Amino acid sequence: MRFWPKDWFSWERKKDDLRAELEAHLRIAAEEQVARGESPEEAREAAMREMGNSALVADVTRGKWGWQWMEHLAQDVRYALRQLIKSPGYAAALVATLTLGLGSVIAMLAIVDSVLVRPMALPHPDKLVLIYAEGQEGTTASRYSLSFEQTEQMSKSVEAFASIASYNTLIKPTRAADGTRIGLTVATTPQLFALLGARAEMGRLIHASDAGAPVAVVNDAFWRERLHADPKAIGTGIAIAGKMETLIGVLPKGFSFPQGNSEPVAYVPVSLNAKGEDAIEIELTTGTVLARVKDEVSIQQARQQAQAFFANANPDAAAKHKVLRVLPYRDFVTGDVQKPLWALLGAVGVLLLIACANAANLQIGRAASRMDEMKIRSALGASFARLTQQLLAESLIVSFAGAALGGGIAWIAIALVRKGYGDQFARFDELAVHPAAIAGGVLLAVAVGIAATLAPMFSVRRQTRAQGVGAGTRTTTRTGRLPGILVSLQVALTCVLLATCGLFARTFHALEEVKLGFDPHGITTLVLMPEDQHQNAEVSREIDARLLKRIEGLPGVEAVTMQSSLPFSSFDVSMNGTTDVKGRAWQQGDQAWYSLVSTDFVRTSGIRLMRGRGLAPQDETGSGLITVLVNEAFAQKYFAGRDPIGAWIKFHRDHGDKDTDIPFLQSMNIVGVVENELQGGDLGAPYQPMVYMDYLQLPKESFLGEVFSMSTQLAVRSSLNKDVLARELRAAVKQEAPQMAEMSLARMDEAIANSLNQRRLALRLAGGFGAVALVLSSVGIYGVLAYAVTLRRKEIGVRMALGASRQRVTGLVMRQAGAMVLFGLVPGVAGAWAAGHAVRSFLFGVRVLDPATLVGATAVLLLVSIVAALVPALRAAMVNPIEALRFE
Amino acid sequence: MAKTEKYQNRIELLQGTLDMLILEALRWGSMHGYGIAQGIRFKSDEVLQVETGSLYPALHRLERQGWVKSKWGQTESNQRAKFYEITKKGKEHHSAEQERWQRMVQAIGAVMGTARTAE
Repeated sequence: MRFWPKDWFSWERKKDDLRAELEAHLRIAAEEQVARGESPEEAREAAMREMGNSALVADVTRGKWGWQWMEHLAQDVRYALRQLIKSPGYAAALVATLTLGLGSVIAMLAIVDSVLVRPMALPHPDKLVLIYAEGQEGTTASRYSLSFEQTEQMSKSVEAFASIASYNTLIKPTRAADGTRIGLTVATTPQLFALLGARAEMGRLIHASDAGAPVAVVNDAFWRERLHADPKAIGTGIAIAGKMETLIGVLPKGFSFPQGNSEPVAYVPVSLNAKGEDAIEIELTTGTVLARVKDEVSIQQARQQAQAFFANANPDAAAKHKVLRVLPYRDFVTGDVQKPLWALLGAVGVLLLIACANAANLQIGRAASRMDEMKIRSALGASFARLTQQLLAESLIVSFAGAALGGGIAWIAIALVRKGYGDQFARFDELAVHPAAIAGGVLLAVAVGIAATLAPMFSVRRQTRAQGVGAGTRTTTRTGRLPGILVSLQVALTCVLLATCGLFARTFHALEEVKLGFDPHGITTLVLMPEDQHQNAEVSREIDARLLKRIEGLPGVEAVTMQSSLPFSSFDVSMNGTTDVKGRAWQQGDQAWYSLVSTDFVRTSGIRLMRGRGLAPQDETGSGLITVLVNEAFAQKYFAGRDPIGAWIKFHRDHGDKDTDIPFLQSMNIVGVVENELQGGDLGAPYQPMVYMDYLQLPKESFLGEVFSMSTQLAVRSSLNKDVLARELRAAVKQEAPQMAEMSLARMDEAIANSLNQRRLALRLAGGFGAVALVLSSVGIYGVLAYAVTLRRKEIGVRMALGASRQRVTGLVMRQAGAMVLFGLVPGVAGAWAAGHAVRSFLFGVRVLDPATLVGATAVLLLVSIVAALVPALRAAMVNPIEALRFE
Repeated sequence: MAKTEKYQNRIELLQGTLDMLILEALRWGSMHGYGIAQGIRFKSDEVLQVETGSLYPALHRLERQGWVKSKWGQTESNQRAKFYEITKKGKEHHSAEQERWQRMVQAIGAVMGTARTAE
């Protein structure tokens, strides 16, 4: 390895050294000849003759050093750079094309990597699964919950699982070194950390023996932000919902659970009491269940075992049509963004294909104009392989330049997305261009570089074999079929992207037009939570009543209501209950969502009363009679055609259910029907049957009181300025309900706009990709036509000399353009239909094959194509026949 | 390209012998490239003409193998030139090579001698 060139400088010095050595040889040889009596000139000449081609001698000698391929490579690179600098227009077009293509891909790869791949950085994440029962009826807090009791049994009986943990994510007032703040608390069975494979940064994590003990573990963010990164924090106390816990450990930085969370979190162990209930959170008997499947067991096997166990252990489960599901944890964590991201990645893949087609076309044109050079070099003995190597070097340089610039653009784009959307979507605050995405980009660049050389090499091979120097270019009037096909391909792909963008835009528009069912303007929502989590439901009710009364009396407030299912609130509490409608045989699936409101609900929310009356204060004082409102969806489902006013409903009671299993036994009387109101935070979600009940009428013994008293959600209608109202409301809370902590205070219309953000981002990204695609294919059309016109100058000259008009010549070029575009549109429309089908789950209010969208996309594409083709077509018409034929 | 390959083939044919000749020439002291070529020419009574195009690649190959080392110096006539010197490793290689060569010459001589008598 002695000859390994340490750096380029030493290699060059070695080369100089060799040159000097050969020069010395010549001098010494000449000197001797002179000594024998020859003239210095003759002597020098003789010596040089003897040596022969000194450059070749040096070259062969260098070959003995090894590493000559590096020199060849350097030569190729130098040559390629010189060639590119010589035609800056071509180089710029090529680099710009690849920058756009590769930049989009790298940006998208970075997003996918940051959001989908990286969050799963746990030991053996593929063995983690989420277990839940589907088709549950009755009162469940979350779709993913399983009762602690079932979880306990499963961990004892199902052998496929190495361990099982059950947890609940709760929002609790937490007191630490920085005072009391509302924060995330994870109440978990002790197995969780071992199951995840986490280690403590300081102290220790929760063990099996900690079940129910007053201890807590916090994450790195908690320790830094709320404990001032105190190295002696272990052993100190923090109060969670008024209960003191001793801090036993701090988790390492980068540990994120629940996945994607970067907020301060405290983790406390739960213990299950005799009834299988969590002793701390008496209102919770269920939790999200996470399990690690044994190494040798597949997820499929684990699912079968767990389902078999579930079916046997719960005889009533079958009756309630419950099915146990086992979902890979990855799908649970990334489920909501997974599909849109893959779809967008697909879109940039298409974009890259378009860019590749452009690059290939540019290089074909370039290779054709360099055919003379290629033929001369081939005649001088350059092998096809050497020519290929040279073209490849050129192509790869351009690719790498494109990847580097594209990487830069991606970096900027990612920074912008992170800045704009970081606090809106889970994990978007962690967006970054990681080496993995860059590596992916570089690999693609190499692939693109190689692919883009293939087409021109093809024509070089054909031409160098065919005729002599100079013969080709003079007689060529057509550039072959490949460029046209590539343009058609571009048009097709662009059509797909544009049509998909159109579908997204229509979806977005449709969502903005969704009938909310209520009037969001002027509504401010206020969410409060009692600091003491064990606050008596009766006390909560009194506080709520006091608060409502106080706010109602504020100057400038038109109306106020409590509404536990505030639309677009992340604290939405509504309960899904199996419902019996009097006079109708109960069927599987008869259920409705129950929300607590107060008397002024209809007036405050602006919801339209379709029939009957609203809730009235006198209902509250009535003796045991519960009056409720239902929505249109409810009336439609249970009273198709009949008048629901005056009808009675009650919670359904299954065989074997005890009184305490039912929220309450009393019947409810329907007094009014209101318009369907949007539920949750998704504008595209279908309307569910809904029952609105006055919170004061909820029977005192019902466990629902405890569920609903976990938080208080108020909607205030007022024309007051945002800040003034906020100040007034906060002052009212401070006076009337000092034991309540504020969770959120927001304008409803802002919340609605925010709810569209994910779709807006997707639309912007897709729209951006569509625009880039449009630019690329118009450049493609322009490039191919411009080149064709250059090649056909003489033909056009002859035609004009023979009497063709300028219009006819323009038409000639436009026809060529038209053929390329039309050949692309046919597969393009088919592709658009397929793409629409692939993204149909994101669509709302628009059909997969939407004629208006397709016509629009086609029209835009045609228009842009015409503009792109017009320049070369007009240039063709400007051809001066005398000039064009001068050299014939 | 093709031309270069042909050129290299000619060196390949000579390679083993040329290396040995160069090392032999260097046994008596350090010498520059031209001097080595001249030395071989004189000692062989002008029969062996070492071409420059073969000499320098060979010298650089020998250097790479660690059998010779080089440094710049002055000739008797005060010309700057690169002088080659045989290394210890080169000497070992050379004596082994010399033995091999002697055996081969004897063997070939024996074969050729028989051939001549048979004529």
